Amino acid sequence: MEIRLSAAQLAVQARFAPLFDDEELTSSIRRMGEQPRAGTPAEIEQLRQLVWGALTDLGATRLLLPERHGGEAAGQQGAVALAELLGGVLYQGPLLDTMTATEAVLADGTNGKLLERIGEGAPVALAVRESGSDTPAVPGPVELVGGQLTARRRFVNYAADAEYLCLIGTGQGQPICAVTAREHPTVSLRRQQDTGRGEWYDVALDRTPVLAAPAGFGAAWPRVLAAARLRQSAYLVGMCQAALALAVRRATTRRQFGQPIGRFQALAFPLAAAATRIEGACWLVRATAWEADQGIDIRLRAAQALAMAADLSRTTMSATMQVHGAYGMTEGADSQLFYRRAAVERSWLGSPRALRAEVVPLLVQRRSDSVIGRR
Amino acid sequence: MNLELTPEQESFRRAVCALLCEESVREEVARARRLPADQEPGLLEVYRRLAERGWLAINWPAEHGGLGSSVVEKAILTEQMIVHGIPDVVHTLSVDIVGLAIQRLGTEAQKRRWLPRIAAGEGAGCVLLTEPEIGSDLGGLSTRAEPDGDGWRLHGRKVYSLKSQFADLALCAARTTESEVRFHGITVFIVPMRAPGVRVEPLWSMSDERFNQVVLSGIRLTAEDVLGEVDDGWQVLHDLLGIERTGIEFEAKARRLLDAVLDETERTGSVEGSEYGELLVELDAEVWAGQLLAWHALGDMLDGDLDDVRCGMAKWHTTETAKRISELGPEICGLTALLSARDAEAAPGWLLESAFRDAPGLTLASGTSEVMLSLIASAGLGLLG
Repeated sequence: MEIRLSAAQLAVQARFAPLFDDEELTSSIRRMGEQPRAGTPAEIEQLRQLVWGALTDLGATRLLLPERHGGEAAGQQGAVALAELLGGVLYQGPLLDTMTATEAVLADGTNGKLLERIGEGAPVALAVRESGSDTPAVPGPVELVGGQLTARRRFVNYAADAEYLCLIGTGQGQPICAVTAREHPTVSLRRQQDTGRGEWYDVALDRTPVLAAPAGFGAAWPRVLAAARLRQSAYLVGMCQAALALAVRRATTRRQFGQPIGRFQALAFPLAAAATRIEGACWLVRATAWEADQGIDIRLRAAQALAMAADLSRTTMSATMQVHGAYGMTEGADSQLFYRRAAVERSWLGSPRALRAEVVPLLVQRRSDSVIGRR
Repeated sequence: MNLELTPEQESFRRAVCALLCEESVREEVARARRLPADQEPGLLEVYRRLAERGWLAINWPAEHGGLGSSVVEKAILTEQMIVHGIPDVVHTLSVDIVGLAIQRLGTEAQKRRWLPRIAAGEGAGCVLLTEPEIGSDLGGLSTRAEPDGDGWRLHGRKVYSLKSQFADLALCAARTTESEVRFHGITVFIVPMRAPGVRVEPLWSMSDERFNQVVLSGIRLTAEDVLGEVDDGWQVLHDLLGIERTGIEFEAKARRLLDAVLDETERTGSVEGSEYGELLVELDAEVWAGQLLAWHALGDMLDGDLDDVRCGMAKWHTTETAKRISELGPEICGLTALLSARDAEAAPGWLLESAFRDAPGLTLASGTSEVMLSLIASAGLGLLG
């Protein structure tokens, strides 16, 4: 058994990590998703376009595309390596949803032009939640008649930035996927006000023409969702790593009672525990990505990974905030950015308990050895 | 043991409920909750209406605007205000901390000057302790009160203070004497916040209520402004923090939050059908245990025998529970609970999203959880020696 980064993961890390090496850029990226209390949205918009351009130039939207569609076929290993980096800089934008949409559209192997457009950098917003308490595994109803889609979806990330909407719903008892143009007169958006001060949208489609509706999507959705959950896990792990780094820096520099507060066990031990759990979660995510690329069913592991990462994000952010004290709650502190964003990200593809409950049957049915031995 | 209120206490509780349920009060609360992001409530009309009945500072003597009742009636009022969603920070700071400190430790002149206005709901107080380099380690504070004739000139900078922008007075800790003993040489002053030399600046935070930085530039103070004894402010601070730590406020908040989670879970599905049903059962027990600890600590206060360890336990337990509920609430209730009060589809009552942003402050203010555990371990268990 060899627990190391794969060549694919190393390659993606090497390609994308330098983009986020600059501390000033990282600090700006962390705030580019925030609705400002007051400020200059034009500058933020410019930064977002710059970052999107840089990511697509480096091939971020081609990672999961097959070569026949102009992609790299880097697999989930490449995708999670990038997702982890994105979490570390608290990137907020349509990239992860675009990846999910890519895999959804690939379900029937057609729609080549659309896929190539995505590969060129067309952002796609994923519209999967009808309400705040539904589960993506059983998406809400949609009406698809005569190539026209009527539906409403909430909590759609970065809909205003997207060129396409990829809507997941249930039609005639089966999950279906329908892609539409975002800027169509029959599509209306309402920006929602959330604790992350991000870019959630309430999206309504009224007989909107469908550009693509992959056949046989019902059978593909569990796999597509699992992969989306895995990438989300990686993103959350990256967030936890970065938040922990902030906390450690604070514990090292902030002095009380004549010494750095990190010398007090009461503060140091929770950070040590967090560091350990983050490391474990990180390898679980990476290993699951490897399994996915071997063709192994990852529905169980992906749900476990996301539930673990979600729980970890809550405890890590709580510890980070505690170490930072009142300063950590102020607008100038990055800690509160992580704290608020984590709340949004950890529940978006299903709450931890719902995830675990969903896959209990898979655990029960699981029988034989995995590729690294019986667990 | 008796878990029931006396008939008189129950009658008082019902009367407070009746007032807080009046439509004008509900409307005022709703308006306060929908203020723009850069505004927040100060003194409310409901405080004045409570004060008209002598209820706002009910445990103060009548000559200071109260009814001479006990801390039990005060706790009942606090619980009901929180349960009914009355913005309570100005009230807690003004009446329960600043006002109570003056009532217990102040001179007659200080009491006459400040208490009637506070008890009438027309005066607000705040606390100025924390400094940029000083959080838990108050012994190291650097705000100076420099001798000036028969008084002092106050210089310094305090941070992370709440409601200072509304305050008429503040309790401010400053060093009056250099001493090798860190806790000696500190004096607590009553600072008039409208005086020249006081500048309040916002420190915006993720909460609905902003922090403030208060810059003190040579404010003239005299012996009339000293609370307690000169150089013996550490004892005043000890008493002040003890007052903050019975946990009544926090157990009431935990109860209200959990009820909001239960309501929202029912509204969007059912508690029995929720994957979080068992966790909700667990949290309900924790909330009740916290309430019992808080009322136990309150009983000590009633007997005039405030127990630091019991207070520390009550504070730690109730704030950690309230924080846990705040952090888990959005996960249990779904994404709608993450929508702010300003969104058209926010969960009814808005509470959960706002509480989530306030949550970290619960285990930081009035003594961090780590300080509480240290107190419990050392003074309670004889450890850490």
